[in-house]
Amino acid sequence: MTVAPIRIPLSQLARGQRATVECSALDSLPNEHRCLLAAMGMGEQCEVRVCRPGTPCIVQIDRTRLGLPHGIADRIMVTPIESTSP
Amino acid sequence: MIPRVALLGNPNTGKSTLFNRLCGLRSKTANFPGSTVEHQVGRCVMKSGQEIDLIDLPGIYSLMLEMPESRLCADCLDGRVGDGRPDAALLVLDANNLSRNLQFAASALRRGLPSVVAINMVDLAERRGLIIDERAASQALGVPVVAVSARSGQGIDRLIEQLTRTSMSSATPHPNLPFPTTEPGSTASAVWAADVFARIAAHPDEKNDDRMTIHDRLDAAFTHPLLGIVFFVLMMSLLFASIYWLAQFPMEAVDGIFGWLGNGVESMMPAGTLRDLTVNGIVGGVSATVVFLPQILLLFFLLALLEDSGYLARAAFAVDRTMRRFGLPGQAFMPLLSSHACALPGIMATRLIPNHRDRLATILVAPFMSCSARVPVYALLTGVLFAGRPLAAGFAFTGCYVLGGIVGLATAALLRKTILRGPSTPMMLELPDYRLPSIRNALTIAMDRGMLFLKNAGSVILSIAIVMWWLSAYPKSPPSPESVAIELRAVEVAPTDPTTAENLRSQAERLNERTQQSGSFAGQLGTICQPAFAPIGLDRQLTVAVLTSFLAREVFTTTVFVLAGAGSDADGEDQGTLATVRSATRDDGLPLFTMATSASLLIFFVLAMQCLPTLVVVAKETGSWRWPLLQFCYMTIIAYTAALFAYRFMP
Repeated sequence: MTVAPIRIPLSQLARGQRATVECSALDSLPNEHRCLLAAMGMGEQCEVRVCRPGTPCIVQIDRTRLGLPHGIADRIMVTPIESTSP
Repeated sequence: MIPRVALLGNPNTGKSTLFNRLCGLRSKTANFPGSTVEHQVGRCVMKSGQEIDLIDLPGIYSLMLEMPESRLCADCLDGRVGDGRPDAALLVLDANNLSRNLQFAASALRRGLPSVVAINMVDLAERRGLIIDERAASQALGVPVVAVSARSGQGIDRLIEQLTRTSMSSATPHPNLPFPTTEPGSTASAVWAADVFARIAAHPDEKNDDRMTIHDRLDAAFTHPLLGIVFFVLMMSLLFASIYWLAQFPMEAVDGIFGWLGNGVESMMPAGTLRDLTVNGIVGGVSATVVFLPQILLLFFLLALLEDSGYLARAAFAVDRTMRRFGLPGQAFMPLLSSHACALPGIMATRLIPNHRDRLATILVAPFMSCSARVPVYALLTGVLFAGRPLAAGFAFTGCYVLGGIVGLATAALLRKTILRGPSTPMMLELPDYRLPSIRNALTIAMDRGMLFLKNAGSVILSIAIVMWWLSAYPKSPPSPESVAIELRAVEVAPTDPTTAENLRSQAERLNERTQQSGSFAGQLGTICQPAFAPIGLDRQLTVAVLTSFLAREVFTTTVFVLAGAGSDADGEDQGTLATVRSATRDDGLPLFTMATSASLLIFFVLAMQCLPTLVVVAKETGSWRWPLLQFCYMTIIAYTAALFAYRFMP
């Protein structure tokens, strides 16, 4: 039996935690926000790392840091990645 | 015909640093016809003497976004704005963020313009072990690629060479290259960029490390709800205190140069109207404004350093939380910060705020932010209020900025709860890396703004200074009987007591000048309007100064100097411009600037809409004279009431 990956809002990740943004993760956002986030680097299947939870929620994607208001971070669904650091 | 090259790239790619490196001070700020998004046009001169006009477009993430700056860039590339399609494009990519930047480059290259790609900040990338293969990048993108560092100048010569070749040719990117047809951020675009990145960049494997970095710690501190605000206030106080402290030395030097120039002209020209116009109208009038050039230069220099360091983006978030409480969006932060330089670009920059109500609220409160035109007035009045106490004067100076900000925010809250009620748009912002700011870049920005200020002083302010001199010099009034009697007495006592005779002559001269002032056109205008300003402590001369400063605030100091300053040199000593204005007297002989009058005037200037060009721009931006009229009435009432309180309660 396959266990479906747990999807939680980005705002619920802890500092330093990593996650993958899913295909439909941005669907609940208005189109202009979704397009801007994608162009800024938060596209489908991208990996994010939380630098600062809360407001603003600061996430790192590749070498880009984005500051997001809590309301937006709350509506982006992500799949947490197990920590690899010791 | 000089080739035109559009400079294009994501925000925070060092595009403006590259522009400044290529063009230096040979640039001007402009707007495309029908657009209010500001851009710079600079001339880049090659070693061969060949010239190129570089158009620095706003930093954007995609050409397809429904945002004003994205639309402007797309229109510029397609020749729908400006002087037609540019001859070429210079795409600036950040070497440290290539995957995302490559996606943008692909979408721009699809437009088919001859292009050069500059991969910027390669020095930082090399420190991380990332090596860019220019040849492979050129093959993948189908256009020349040059790895540069705009800060250090690395690769700039090769970029200029390549730019010359490309802008003169009509070679467009190869049409058969497999660029993704979707926009940046899509899966297809990301896959293509990852493939190209793997081919053009050799890089060490960066291990995922979940520990907190120094960047994380700084971000946490600068965007903290309390600590972030404390840090922001401290930073701004330090900024303005530095301006006040550091600028006083060059200001004295500028003051001295104009004093020397005035004395030189006075000794060379025969007495008469022309000498009076040159010394008191032109030299005196312009010096009263230009003396504040060091403060303007310092303000822009320090702001550019702060922006370059990466701090300002964090400050936007620190302030965002507070601004939301007043109904303003985070995007309003930059227009409001720009309004501290001048309300005009600030108001124009509100076009970047997507929500109509948010934008209107920001436009209406922008003039409350203390602009650079107020700096001369603040410096003069805080100097009068706290003469010999620079620290207190520095705090008062900061207080003016704080007062304007607080009243502006309170007004925004009022507007968003009444006539502009409705939801606002959340702020999403890229936070650039922290880095050591570029002194060279900050100097270029400060010099650019300083030149703009000087051009203004050389045109608008010079014209107003001459008009003010004429208004205060004509019609000519005959000497008063009292001064004639004093001069006769001076003649009588001269053989026995030359010192007393000299003093009497000075007294008679001052009386004559006062008679001339009150009889002049300016004096008459002041006399008519003065009753309206009397409750806030203004006499005839200050009323004239306030009325004329409606054209441009900085004219206030010029007018005060021209109206009140000409006579105070009667004691034969050479006083500086500031000292002359400070020691000016009213018609009744009392000091023109008392504590109460200075405080009242200071508060009036912080809060009043004393700027005709701003009103015109507001009308243009809102498409109606209803809003600027409301803004003018509201701000005038607030300013007058606050000044009245200050005048009544000051000792």
